[in-house]
Amino acid sequence: MKNYILQILFLTISLSGFSQTKTIESDLMDLKMNVGDTFTPSSYVMSSDGSTTSCDNMIYYNKQGVFSTAKSIQVDNESGKIIANQPGLHEVVAVCITEGGKRFSRTFVVDVQFPAVKEIKISLNSDKVYEGTYVPISYEVIDEMGFVRENVNFSIKSSNSNLVVDDVNNIKAVKSGNVTLNATYEGITGTLNLDVLKNPVEYIELSSNADQARTGDVIQLKAEAYNKKGQILSNIPFEFSFKGKSFDKSNTASGLIMNDGRFVADVSGNYLVTASLGNVSVSKALNIYERNVKRDVVKVGTGLVNDKHTSDFWVFEGVDGRDYAVTGTWGADGTSYFWDVTDPSNILKIDSVQVDARTVNDVKVSEDGKIAIISREGASNRKNGIIIIDVTNPRDVKIISEYTKNLTGGVHNLFIYQDHVYALSAGQKYYILNIEDPVNPVEVGMFELGKEGQAIHDVWIEDGIAYSSNWRDGVYMVDVGNGIAGGSPSNPVAFGNYNYASGAHHATYPFKSKSTGKFYTVLGDEIFPNGIDVNAPNETAGFLHFVDFTDIDNPVEIARYELPGHGSHNYWIEDDILYVAMYSGGIRVVDISGDLMGDLYKQGREIGYILPGDKDGYIPFATMSWGAQLYKGHVFYSDWNSGIGAAKVMPVKPDNSKVNQYLN
Amino acid sequence: MRLLVFLTAFLISNSSFSQNYYLYVAAESDDMVSLLRFDGSELIEEERFEVGVMPTEIEGPHGITVDPNGKYWYLSLAHGSPYGTLTKYSTETNKPISSTKLGLFPATMQISEATGLLYCVNFNLHGEMKPSTVSVVDPEIMVEIKQITTGAMPHGSRISPDGLYQYSVAMMSGELFEIDAITLKVKRKLNLEKMNMMSSGNHQMNSNHQMGGNHSMKMSHSMVQPTWVIPHPSKKLAYIAGNGSDEIIEVNLDDWVITNRINVGKGPYNVEISPNGKYLVATLKGEGSTGIWDLEDLSISKVLKNTTKVSHGIAISPDSKYAFISVEGIGGEPGKVDVINLKDMSLESSVNVGKQAGGIAFWKISD
Repeated sequence: MKNYILQILFLTISLSGFSQTKTIESDLMDLKMNVGDTFTPSSYVMSSDGSTTSCDNMIYYNKQGVFSTAKSIQVDNESGKIIANQPGLHEVVAVCITEGGKRFSRTFVVDVQFPAVKEIKISLNSDKVYEGTYVPISYEVIDEMGFVRENVNFSIKSSNSNLVVDDVNNIKAVKSGNVTLNATYEGITGTLNLDVLKNPVEYIELSSNADQARTGDVIQLKAEAYNKKGQILSNIPFEFSFKGKSFDKSNTASGLIMNDGRFVADVSGNYLVTASLGNVSVSKALNIYERNVKRDVVKVGTGLVNDKHTSDFWVFEGVDGRDYAVTGTWGADGTSYFWDVTDPSNILKIDSVQVDARTVNDVKVSEDGKIAIISREGASNRKNGIIIIDVTNPRDVKIISEYTKNLTGGVHNLFIYQDHVYALSAGQKYYILNIEDPVNPVEVGMFELGKEGQAIHDVWIEDGIAYSSNWRDGVYMVDVGNGIAGGSPSNPVAFGNYNYASGAHHATYPFKSKSTGKFYTVLGDEIFPNGIDVNAPNETAGFLHFVDFTDIDNPVEIARYELPGHGSHNYWIEDDILYVAMYSGGIRVVDISGDLMGDLYKQGREIGYILPGDKDGYIPFATMSWGAQLYKGHVFYSDWNSGIGAAKVMPVKPDNSKVNQYLN
Repeated sequence: MRLLVFLTAFLISNSSFSQNYYLYVAAESDDMVSLLRFDGSELIEEERFEVGVMPTEIEGPHGITVDPNGKYWYLSLAHGSPYGTLTKYSTETNKPISSTKLGLFPATMQISEATGLLYCVNFNLHGEMKPSTVSVVDPEIMVEIKQITTGAMPHGSRISPDGLYQYSVAMMSGELFEIDAITLKVKRKLNLEKMNMMSSGNHQMNSNHQMGGNHSMKMSHSMVQPTWVIPHPSKKLAYIAGNGSDEIIEVNLDDWVITNRINVGKGPYNVEISPNGKYLVATLKGEGSTGIWDLEDLSISKVLKNTTKVSHGIAISPDSKYAFISVEGIGGEPGKVDVINLKDMSLESSVNVGKQAGGIAFWKISD
């Protein structure tokens, strides 16, 4: 036996000695190409003993995958022929498949060389350059094939001592007079001729529309420069800055100041705002006090759903004048519940419908309180679509019809507006259905972005404008009857768009500020940084982006509401107050009156909050708030783990603290 | 010596009773995957784990497969924004390792033992009736290396026993596609509609074949609505589930012709063949049952009612002893996996899994 084992061992060692390590050799190695070149590789297999063989079954591919292929390089899988479309380093994988399914692969880096630099454009981002100021310039490096180079490290030189360039290419004008700025890269130099002007400012006067304010209040500073003769100078590019000390010695003063002189403080304290031009400056003290908008928010009543997750909800006035709500369920059995919420402290479950679905993600009710629509996902016949329900008697609701055409991929969100349903289809587009005859809905329109990879998460209609939330493509404002762009339900016309870098745009709420008249779209993220555990509390992220759409053609993102550690979901705005479900952060009530700028949470604009987590919830004590709606003075909400609830924002308590005694 | 032989035989025969069969099943409406173990008499859910990254979206795990060496399993998530995802998991930890985006509604897939590549159909179940694609992925580094255009709603991606060809059917254009697993090009396609019985139907495609928009213009909805294809483990035959025509279609892969159509129950959906080549097993989705046919003469051996409604996927153990059937259920009902003993054609055991149990893949037999 012992000999037998030794023989096997010897045989194994002997055989392994004969095994060869094989690698793919190819003229792809160290390959350099120019944009527009083609190259067909020649590859073979080399064994560790130096012998070579051809590979009958070689597959080549671009390691970037298929979606980016057209933008960088194209690789023919069979021949390996490469077409170089864009400069840069690209990885090409060669896989040799041998008999018996053994395969070995090798990645080659192909250097598609940047074309020679043709031109460097330097532009000045200011009308005038004054002595003692930093010079705001921008560059553009264009090569011979029209590609623009990014992240170029220039060598910048000044033709004389009027400009000083530091080690990281900041440029300061130190003396008046003409000067030429030279930016050189790869032997090509771009030039900019400047006339550094003597600083004409003898002194600056700085005023503001307030000397004291609350955190979050936007103060408009006004700087005026004068020459030696005491004459006002126009078009002076002031630099605004601030410093401050918090009243709370353990806190840091913070805020935001813009080039147009708007300033907002996050923290109460003494601030010094400064306007300067070169070495001439003036400061002004501002006293910032607590916003002091805190109010008690109390839970009034709960309609507990604890055998399944709750999704969206809608509160409405029934035809009998009483108040009702409908809630959906998530990942369950296709049930929607109907509630009497006339007494918010005694929310009563009064009826339910169950449809063939696993998730009823969204529910809405018509303006007249007669028709409810619910979305379907996970139908056993995979047709999904929507269900139209007669809620004339919410105690005995009746399904009127099912509509699935073009909606089989699942309807995640929907909206009802003036006898039309707007229903998302497979997360890519929305269809518009006329439901004047709810038994026989008729498709009358459809809106999509019409681009590869189009995606949509939500649609909301107000004043004849549909606001669709299209993830990375942001919000699209579509005329479906407003008239602003000649649109209608059968002819939806897009007229406004804004997107942002994270691409997590999930919901939109239009907001016209009562206090300022400005028009915003409030764009919410939805982010789960670590995925989800359906049976345990979850980490959420993302925030609300406030985009000033007063000028529809030039939207500007100006503020955010971000609750540290908790992500945003659905929300409601009324009378300049935001009611937002922040998932694990509960229902938050936020003062968004006045001009908005910067970080609204840091500014102490939060009025109050509740955490709907319930000891008897689907997941006990775990808050996962889904949406909020202000209705007849109560804040209604739905929570993933506890169902529907109502809260009340209590009146302002008399302030006896004297903290704000100096405020008007 | 006789005693030794007897003892050895005894030990071997007994050891076969302690074998465990492991498999994975995906629950499409729960975003869950279950690891199941069958000990020869009882099917047990060993573990259930969440999949996907967007909790408030149903991402729909649909297709699942285990690589030939058993180290990894792969899951297609049908819904994305808008593209679906393929994720690679370790069978040792059942934790995700890496992911890549595929096309619209990626569904069934399999890895070729010859090429090591994974071929996944982009079902585009809810999209327009236009040709979709088969994604080819290098699972080693999880890169989608090509999307090969086939027909409308491709489904049932299965690889030939030699690993050199991938087969799928296009549900709405009623076609069988054969892809060369190495050149990554469609080699042949076959019209599966009934007028095509015993006709040549040979659509040899040249290597430059492209199917663009014109194809969709001419497309009419298939009456057959094929949903699955399985090549025979040893013969040059393939069998197709005609979900719309309630039939199993036999195709001779040498001659590329339809050689037989047998009427089966309502809505055959998935079809698999036991590795020993004896049985053809098909789920009859419309009637919530599973049929078993003798492949010698395609005679029906047994139709068994499944334990809930909407029969879906099939995984047959490599020893050809058991067929594991995923059954979706409806609404809030749990999904089920039923075990059918292929020797005595009986339902052996059943276990609850997540809602809408669909994709099912055999992992290993182990002591």
